[in-house]
Amino acid sequence: MNRRTGLLFVTPALALFGVFVLYPMVTAFSYAFYDWQGTARGGFAGLENFTALFTRAPFTTDLPRALLHNVLFFVGTMLVQNTIGLTVAFLLHRRVRTRRALQTLYAMPYLVSPIVIGYLWTLLLSPTFGPVNTLLTKVGLESWALPWLGDPDTALWVVILVSVWQWIGFPVLLYGAALGGVPEELSEAARVDGASHAQTFRRVTFPLLVPAIGTVSVLTFIFAMEAFALPYAFGGSTGNPAGSTDFISLLFYRTAFDSGATDAIGTSSALATLLFVLIFGGAYAATAVLRRHERRITA
Amino acid sequence: MSVVPAGIGTADEPADVTPATGDGGPGSGAPRRQRARGRTAPVGGRTASVALWVYAAFALVPLLLMLSSSFRSNGDLISNPLGAPWPLSFDAYEEAWTAGNFATYFGNSLLVTLGAVVLSTTVATMASYALARGRSRIFRWLESLFLSGLMLPIHLAILPIFYLFDGVGLVDSRLGLALLYGASGVPFSIFVLTTFFRQLPEELEEAATLDGASAWQTFSRIMVPLVRPALATVAVFRFVPIWNDFLFPLVLLRDDAKYTLPVGLTQFFGENATNYAAVFAGLVITTLPLIALFLVATRQIVAGLTAGMSK
Amino acid sequence: MTTRTSRSRIALALGAGVLALAACAPSSSSGGDDGDGTTLTVWSWRVEDKAAYDKIFDVYEKSHPGVTVDFKPFKATEYNKILATGLAGKDGPDVPQVRSYGQLQGTVAAGSLVPLDGKVDLSSWDENVVASAKGKEDGKIYSVPLARQATVLFYDKKMFSDNGVQVPTTWDQFIAANETFLKKGITPLAVGAKDDWTLPIVHEVLAGARFGGADFQEAVTSGAKDFTDPDFVASVEVLKQLEKYMPKSVTGVAVTDAMTLFTSGKAAMYPGGSYDLATLQKGNPEMEIGVMQVPPASGAPSGATGTTAGWADGNFAVNSKSPHQEEATELVTWMATPEFGQLVADEVKQISAVPGVTYSDPVLKQVADDYDKTGSPYLLLTDFRYGTPTGTDLLGKGAQELFLGSKDAKTVSTELNSGVMTWFEPTS
Repeated sequence: MNRRTGLLFVTPALALFGVFVLYPMVTAFSYAFYDWQGTARGGFAGLENFTALFTRAPFTTDLPRALLHNVLFFVGTMLVQNTIGLTVAFLLHRRVRTRRALQTLYAMPYLVSPIVIGYLWTLLLSPTFGPVNTLLTKVGLESWALPWLGDPDTALWVVILVSVWQWIGFPVLLYGAALGGVPEELSEAARVDGASHAQTFRRVTFPLLVPAIGTVSVLTFIFAMEAFALPYAFGGSTGNPAGSTDFISLLFYRTAFDSGATDAIGTSSALATLLFVLIFGGAYAATAVLRRHERRITA
Repeated sequence: MSVVPAGIGTADEPADVTPATGDGGPGSGAPRRQRARGRTAPVGGRTASVALWVYAAFALVPLLLMLSSSFRSNGDLISNPLGAPWPLSFDAYEEAWTAGNFATYFGNSLLVTLGAVVLSTTVATMASYALARGRSRIFRWLESLFLSGLMLPIHLAILPIFYLFDGVGLVDSRLGLALLYGASGVPFSIFVLTTFFRQLPEELEEAATLDGASAWQTFSRIMVPLVRPALATVAVFRFVPIWNDFLFPLVLLRDDAKYTLPVGLTQFFGENATNYAAVFAGLVITTLPLIALFLVATRQIVAGLTAGMSK
Repeated sequence: MTTRTSRSRIALALGAGVLALAACAPSSSSGGDDGDGTTLTVWSWRVEDKAAYDKIFDVYEKSHPGVTVDFKPFKATEYNKILATGLAGKDGPDVPQVRSYGQLQGTVAAGSLVPLDGKVDLSSWDENVVASAKGKEDGKIYSVPLARQATVLFYDKKMFSDNGVQVPTTWDQFIAANETFLKKGITPLAVGAKDDWTLPIVHEVLAGARFGGADFQEAVTSGAKDFTDPDFVASVEVLKQLEKYMPKSVTGVAVTDAMTLFTSGKAAMYPGGSYDLATLQKGNPEMEIGVMQVPPASGAPSGATGTTAGWADGNFAVNSKSPHQEEATELVTWMATPEFGQLVADEVKQISAVPGVTYSDPVLKQVADDYDKTGSPYLLLTDFRYGTPTGTDLLGKGAQELFLGSKDAKTVSTELNSGVMTWFEPTS
């Protein structure tokens, strides 16, 4: 395909993307460099809004905490999601008759809006009416009947686990597909050479899954950094209880719309810019690492 | 997040609907099948089967709770939030459907979501083809630009988006909403589709060109049908978040008659804050179409993913 | 054609498109006249009150021929976003419902509202209420207060009489009442501490008298005292003392759960705001709801009485971009009349901000009377929301930490103090 035709093919997508995504986003970033009085833009402010994020209350306490939660959310999601995802995909592999039905069932929670998911799980985990704690008490595990969403030690984990619960269908599908792509001859050969199931998995299957795991990781990272809907449904815009489920996007919304501060647009835009830089930097670094890893494998 | 059939790595066979999925399916020779029997036994046996089905139940419980709650009377729900739905009561549905204007919201959601998905899939398919085949450096550069869109927290740009819409008269317009969603789906769609186009052998196009087909004919008649599973994947993956989103319609729509389901639902929640049964009925009405769509499309999605990953 | 020209042509086309869009920055506004009449759009976050407002504006339309009022409510939790964008754009409301006190300031600073001095007369109104409507910088009036909200302790009358409990008048009686319910397996105080924003209100209800209500406000705003004052610390401590009467794992209980506990007869008392009344009544129409003031906790400053803390909320204003400023101002002026105030009391079931309104609902009447007699400002909202972090945010989070046992009353008070003092300036 020549360059002219190629560009013609790209133009509609570029126009749409440019006008409705790039342009507003760049504008949003530019807002961070101005003084604001409510919705009225004042003069150029340089980096003032950014320094405010690191020197002014409540950002000095809320921003590091929110960032920590984003990172924990990413790490926790990765651990749980990949462990369960790989295990389930491995168990499903070769279950020809039931595989598709099970894969479909696992993906069902994805269809429900996170707001609703949050609402339903809050109901299930409620210490007053919730069946989870009732059940735990009934089977004699009373000490396990915790105020799940009311305790900072457990609340973040509930958010992570419910998030994994909602999205697990995808790692299962993806890893399943990747497993299907591993040539049978390879693991067969390994088995013939006397390798155990575990050894075959570690030495032969797993390395071939690395590209899929890598893609899932990068996307999970972006997802975790942008986390909003589920934490919002669980802990409101302040990350209840006691800020233990606060995330950067929540801080953005609080700053932009709930604080009533006259310079809200400036500081919140600075926050949005910072978030993008973090996502971009993280994703870029992760991709670079993965590329290197891939090259090592294929070499 | 939308996890993607990534396929870093390329396939050397066309993305067929039923490529080697490693089922140990038919197709291998008879002597091999003999040996294959031991190997095709599912890992973990019975125990694993039980575990897998238990997990499936775990995935469904909250959804069933939603369904069962919608069939109960409100008083019953308040006094015992998790009781059984006996006797079945359909009052909540009647209430939700008549008072809630759900028929209108439903139509709007369908219009906006389908419009956006068709738009983004169409332009992204064209662009992806060019990006996958173009050899000039500008295409690498454009691809990076599109992919950077995956990392843009677009919902944080709500104010500029509103100003933009206000300036061009797209506030309170379903078209505007569809354009916005369409645009925001472009990076993801391109991310998935370029991978698929790269897997298709170039000989196909060379042959078509020799036969005198134009670039557009080659694209629409030969290439697009080959990536159909991927198109289904992209479409469904985009459909769900758009269908469920309520931030943008809330800020960008004004007229009750143009509301999409999630916004209508929040409005309905507000008016019926204490009528939980009706709220649940509203939730079921909102979720059912997605479940239907998903069940229909699973076959295509699985095929699409599998094709994307296969080597 | 060379590739160079095609590339620049595309770039040009794109650039032109973006420029054309940018040129249409928010500015002009279009009229909304339908024939010879005017339609005024009113925005509000009270979705549940739509029917009531439609009735109220029918009254207005009758006396103002040619004017149609279109009441448009949005979801409360998302209203700030909608208002921020709506006022900046050209399709915004003529008369928006705006936030009060500190949260009004951003809207005022943006020049989105028309000053109403000389058009509405609020001189006979409660000073604390009028403060909600003013710009902090210029002291001008930018809105007309709709309602006075008050913090109240709701109680289940039948449950009290069934268990032989009288409405307590002393702290000891209050504690004894709690003990009685606790022994019978009834949750005495339905508190939902999972939602941090409710906790400053719970604090006002249960311990407002302990720190001294209005006297303390005066001392703090003038700079004579601050939140590290022993009386304030002790009032925070009261929350911790009463925790045993609240639902188990109280920080895991959502406010809706707490309300359900109360309306389903599993709890005896519910500390909340007067705005909760309608929801509680809807939740259980048969229930007989009473309201009381919590007696001053032991150790309260001498002369302290039970108090009802109040603030103004739900103010209406005029959008400076409205093409119908004159008509909109007339409507808002009407909102400061006793006629409108009475309609709000009767239809919306709120305590009107207009003085001299009477209440047919007994509960509403009692709250209004209590407030008139022994009212005090809901200090953290009326005076400590003019900067970030706000007083309510800090105490909400602090109270959660108090319940969780990670901080004591002294630390919570000190942190509240150091937080608000980053921006607060005493009046004297």
